[in-house]
Amino acid sequence: MTAAAALAPSPPATGGPDPRPGSFGAFVARCAAAGQLVVQPRMGFADPERMRDGLRRTKAAAATAAGTLTIDSYTRVGDRAAARAALAEGAPLNGYPIAAHPAARTRALLAGVADAGFPVQVRHGSARPEAIIRALTAAGLDATEGGPVSYCLPYDRTPLAESVAHWARGCELLATLAPAPRTAHLETFGGCMLGQLAPPGLLVALSLLEGLFFVRHGIRSVSLSYAQQTHPGQDAEALRALRRLAEEFLPAGVDRHLVLYTYMGVYPRTAHGATRLLEDSARLAVRAGAERLIVKTAAEAHRIPTVQENVRALETAAAAAARTTPEQADGGDSEVYQEARRFVEAVLDLGDDLGRALRTAFARGLLDVPYCLHPDNAGRSRSFLDPGGRLRWSDTGAMPVAPYATSSRRTPLTADGLLGALLTTSSRYDSDPPAPEGADMEHTPPPLGTHLASPTLRSAMLVQQEALYAVREFLRGQGFTELLPPLVGPVTDPGGRGAKALDVDYYGQPYKLMTSAILYKQASLRGFPKLFYIAPNVRVEPPETAGTGRHLVEFHQIDVELAGASREDAQAVAAGLLTHVVEHVWSAVPEVLRELGREEMDFAELLSGGKFDSCTHAEAVARLAGHGHTQSPDAEIDWAGEKVLSLAADRPFFIDDYPKGSRGFYDREDPERPGVLRNFDLIAHGGYGELASGSEREADYAALVTRMRESGENPAKYAWYLELAREGIASSAGFGMGLQRLVRFLTGLDALWQVSAYPKLPGVIAP
Amino acid sequence: MRRRSLDILLAGTASDSHTWNLVYLQLFLEERGHRVGNLGPCVPDPLLVRECAARRPQLLVLASVNGHGYRDGLGAVRALRRAGHTLPVVIGGKLGTAGEADPAQRALLLEAGCDRVFDDGDTHALGAYLDTLAAVETRAAA
Repeated sequence: MTAAAALAPSPPATGGPDPRPGSFGAFVARCAAAGQLVVQPRMGFADPERMRDGLRRTKAAAATAAGTLTIDSYTRVGDRAAARAALAEGAPLNGYPIAAHPAARTRALLAGVADAGFPVQVRHGSARPEAIIRALTAAGLDATEGGPVSYCLPYDRTPLAESVAHWARGCELLATLAPAPRTAHLETFGGCMLGQLAPPGLLVALSLLEGLFFVRHGIRSVSLSYAQQTHPGQDAEALRALRRLAEEFLPAGVDRHLVLYTYMGVYPRTAHGATRLLEDSARLAVRAGAERLIVKTAAEAHRIPTVQENVRALETAAAAAARTTPEQADGGDSEVYQEARRFVEAVLDLGDDLGRALRTAFARGLLDVPYCLHPDNAGRSRSFLDPGGRLRWSDTGAMPVAPYATSSRRTPLTADGLLGALLTTSSRYDSDPPAPEGADMEHTPPPLGTHLASPTLRSAMLVQQEALYAVREFLRGQGFTELLPPLVGPVTDPGGRGAKALDVDYYGQPYKLMTSAILYKQASLRGFPKLFYIAPNVRVEPPETAGTGRHLVEFHQIDVELAGASREDAQAVAAGLLTHVVEHVWSAVPEVLRELGREEMDFAELLSGGKFDSCTHAEAVARLAGHGHTQSPDAEIDWAGEKVLSLAADRPFFIDDYPKGSRGFYDREDPERPGVLRNFDLIAHGGYGELASGSEREADYAALVTRMRESGENPAKYAWYLELAREGIASSAGFGMGLQRLVRFLTGLDALWQVSAYPKLPGVIAP
Repeated sequence: MRRRSLDILLAGTASDSHTWNLVYLQLFLEERGHRVGNLGPCVPDPLLVRECAARRPQLLVLASVNGHGYRDGLGAVRALRRAGHTLPVVIGGKLGTAGEADPAQRALLLEAGCDRVFDDGDTHALGAYLDTLAAVETRAAA
């Protein structure tokens, strides 16, 4: 069983396998009922073997997919002689010349591939579709796309009147040549037009009108398209408007669904930009209730994509869709709906013959596609991108809609303005994510399979294993007991620096995944005066920390707490621990460290003995000012500043006395110096930055409540912890040392993801 | 020096269905004070010849981005010159499939009677050419 067959909902049990190539509309309806978005490529190859391979691999993709036969340009414009000549010469064609191949060859291509769980649609772009429709129905297919307006105005000089006549005949041919029990299916292309800069109200109206045209000419199963534009909110309005208009204007017995096209304008040129735009389109489809998505690939901006690239795009879109939940919305009287409805009504008012009505509407400029140069288009409408990113009308010519109230009609669109508007989406996606702060990590993790097989990760894991061994050896030697930490709780460390906790539903209660187990460490002192965890933590860090090389969403801490201890006691344990780990890894795996580019000399000062230096936060701020780096005296040292200090040092050192407000309520305030905390960070030398954070802990009930209120925390949420505090929590000091940060420091690797087997970077969706 | 506004005819080449480049060029030319008739994409040679005869433009701008520009442009220029049209004709865009200008193909176009061949995106050179042409027109009219 293929992956697609496993993922796709089973066909209805009708007693034995369905021998017909499945009905396109019924397949999409079944998938929608099962909550699965159907994804589909644009894929076409001249060679039948290659085409068959492309379809098989589409079917085997880890996605609920439908197949596509995209037709070549010669066949599209009706030049079958040229298509045959090109085939004979072996010249490359940009699609499958379905009308040049005998039907038997296309049937053979589809045999065993197209079935009820994998329907195949023919995509072309012809204003004269009859020959293509004859060829596809002869090959046993019954689904295609197009439309009298959308396959004419943007691409062709064919007069609209001719296209309308050809498409009327085409619909009737399709309905006749794919008789029951087959179900002819037609998708409108009217939701795309020139790909960009047409305000959604017009696209929705054209898509609906073409669907209605199909139905009037005998088609009983239609899909209505809409192409992703510039604004997710406006696009969702458009899809909901299309659904509502379909309910209002299409006869009840007609099968229908919505199909979204991933952005059809100038596509992002970077791989990350292209992927993110594709993912956004998949999310849009699910949120706004489209049942099918036609994807684009990351190769789109450069050349015709390969099968592999198509499959990757399908799987990327399917994965993004699976992570998205539909949004309930009534599709109310949105601006898009109202505009679209005015267009639809204006056309339907022109008479019962919809083909004639469409021609009249264009002739009178009631429908007027902005920037479309076709001789039958009035060419008086103009659109613009408003400051919020929505597409709106600046000029409406004779159309039954009004220009946008604040449109700058007095400043007409310039050539540069047009270029800017055309490139808005690609520039936005190519430039995101923003250049990382202190970017010492220029690259991101490869796909997980590649990463797991990399020799660098293997070396890093050998070092990590030895480091963990040494941590446990050292702490047990000092009389600490290892406990296993909790994973979820009603509250967790409120933390700082913009990191958030992940919510989980715990028997109906809102629980959090641990950002750190600090509260449990303090509680545990009752039975375990010296304890430690190797604790997994999840912190949803702000996306801009993805490039620091020092943040992972999932990481581990060596979490240490000792009762009755001072800050200096905790620092002595931290320094001793770090020293022991460094000594151990250099005796256990020196060759691994050297292969990674580390030298024992890098740790000479660290291992030279003696206490690590300390400075206060205020001194660190002054030192940074000396380096020309501005640092707020009331806040955490920023990442760039921390790096400067780290680079300037030749052995690890402590920064003490952070200002209140920069840390959690559990860091004890210095009784002699209000506003200063009895806490510390341990900073590695060599640019590796913070390794550990620690403090003397606040344990007094009243002080804790006060500190919680000061930091904006609701004490009621911390009931279990405060109850223990009221009964009495031992005074203590402790610290958490980031395990991955420690291993990065030991190995000298550039980024934390290189020392995590399953890296999750802030803001990056990863397995 | 006073500059006169020109009547310019703009057209996509016969096999090129792209539109946005033509929309951009129309705005670009209009911003420089000229009047533009835009024939749109996929203009076959006979239509181009007919339109030149009917509209009598002072300049024809051919644009192509589909890689067939050298070939299609050559056909268009030859057809125009054969029909006796002497107006200035210029072409520009992504004219070949290789992604860079081809001097031999360019020479063929010039030899066939094309007045200028502009590299892709070189609107600066196009602007300078328009200025020269408009200035010459002024003097000729004086």
